[in-house]
Amino acid sequence: MANEIRVDAKLLAEFIKLNKNIMEAPSLAQSLEEIDLEITPYEVVYSEGKVRLLHFSPLATKQVKTPLVIAYALINRFHILDIHPKKSWVRSLLNQGIDLYLIDWGTPTQINRHEGFDDYVNGYMDNCIDFVRKESMSDKVSLQGYCTGGTLATVYASLYPEKIKNLILTAPVIDGRRDSTVVSNLAKHMDVDKLVETVGNMPPELMYYVFSILKPFEQGFEKYLNFFKNIHDKDYVENFIRVEKWVSDTPPIPGELFRQWIKDVYQENLLINNRMYVGGKIVSLKNITMPLLTQVAVGDHLVSPECSMPIHYAVSSEDKTLKIYPTGHVGMIASSFSQKKVLPEFAQWLTERSDK
Amino acid sequence: MSLPQDVKKSLAEYKHTSLFWTDLLYLMSNRQQTITATGPFRKLAVNAKKISTETIEMNEDMTEFNTRLSEYYKQLNDTWNEAQKEYTRKVPELPNDTENMEASKRIWIDIFENYFTRLFDSANFSENFGKLVTGELEIAKHWNNMTSTLLESANMPTKKDMDEVYKELHSLRKRVAKLEKISNKGGI
Repeated sequence: MANEIRVDAKLLAEFIKLNKNIMEAPSLAQSLEEIDLEITPYEVVYSEGKVRLLHFSPLATKQVKTPLVIAYALINRFHILDIHPKKSWVRSLLNQGIDLYLIDWGTPTQINRHEGFDDYVNGYMDNCIDFVRKESMSDKVSLQGYCTGGTLATVYASLYPEKIKNLILTAPVIDGRRDSTVVSNLAKHMDVDKLVETVGNMPPELMYYVFSILKPFEQGFEKYLNFFKNIHDKDYVENFIRVEKWVSDTPPIPGELFRQWIKDVYQENLLINNRMYVGGKIVSLKNITMPLLTQVAVGDHLVSPECSMPIHYAVSSEDKTLKIYPTGHVGMIASSFSQKKVLPEFAQWLTERSDK
Repeated sequence: MSLPQDVKKSLAEYKHTSLFWTDLLYLMSNRQQTITATGPFRKLAVNAKKISTETIEMNEDMTEFNTRLSEYYKQLNDTWNEAQKEYTRKVPELPNDTENMEASKRIWIDIFENYFTRLFDSANFSENFGKLVTGELEIAKHWNNMTSTLLESANMPTKKDMDEVYKELHSLRKRVAKLEKISNKGGI
């Protein structure tokens, strides 16, 4: 027969197997709501509005005296830093004797729409850091900012250098003009004034859309295909569900904060040029004199290394280190690589510069 | 990429005719209606005009939004076709077996990922996307205005009223925080 289609028997078997896996998936995987994230125990030691300051219970007998405060990003939840006991950024630092606090920004609603950088930096962050200084009886704390939290930490360290002993910036958003990611491209052409005036806060759905086009075929197709292929691998499935839970949970960003963010960092690039104003004060990166560790990932498709690295050259700190890792934005903080390479180097750097 | 002149013209004519008759009917209607100046009937006529204006303007913006949306899908479609051509050129006739299936899947993903990332990175895409979002916001604005008109007629707080409350609350919270800081430092 001239029109006969020949199909490889192995290929057919693969196809049937995949279909079988899809059918079996509901009985082998938990739903996003069912998964227990096994979060490291913490106590809410301070709260203001929707913002909470978490203090993690120590896991090592010998503690570093200078506490570390993590300013988590404004996008998604802090759980990525504690995604799995074996890949937890938080747990690893606790095991290495770090006294750890984390600022959880919560879920802003319309009542928070007028909150901007001033409220976040001079209000929430300053109050949290003052609380930690008082509770730990330390004049200064170490501050780590991840992603957009890195920008907030940078602004804070510039305005309150006397309260910061060490500054650690992990994939921070600093130089919007150099950022070569899709996020930056979309941000440059956004009528942010109209967005904020019409809808108030930055809607999480729009943010989710932006993330979905970052790697559309790997993230939108291959990832799910691999999930069904590996449906009998318990660890793979569990890790997949944990990360998906984190990815799908994006809170809104307060309108004014988002407006200033897009305009000052991406559209007018004021931060790196020392021309950004927060609470009536100019943010000069030259005020940053404390030891600085900047961590960037070469494969970062959310915040490109060119966007983060300029901070290393813009500050006045004499003791500064730039670490470039062969991984991605999330890989740098929640992966086996992060546990083996990034965290030990981070903890060593921090311990050497902290009060014992 | 604005609306064609003839579409603009017919929309303007439609808007004018609609407003003309709404106005005239309102003026011609029984003046005794004014007795019910505080009741729902007079409000109803005024509101009907507001809602009618908003609806017409929303339709205009809808046309602009649809133009941007069509351009958005055209960009996606064109990119898909180009990527598909490239894929067909690179993977002409691989045998249908598991090894080659895996290889061709990898090539397919890489090619499509590259083409689409290039599209999303382009100024053309982001400009159109920005205008698409703006168009959607314009529609949302008209919708908000219509809702506000109805809420106002029912003596209920509108979005604008709530925004004022939020702004006032925000400013009060800031003042309280400032006073608390001064008081903690022993300034009061």
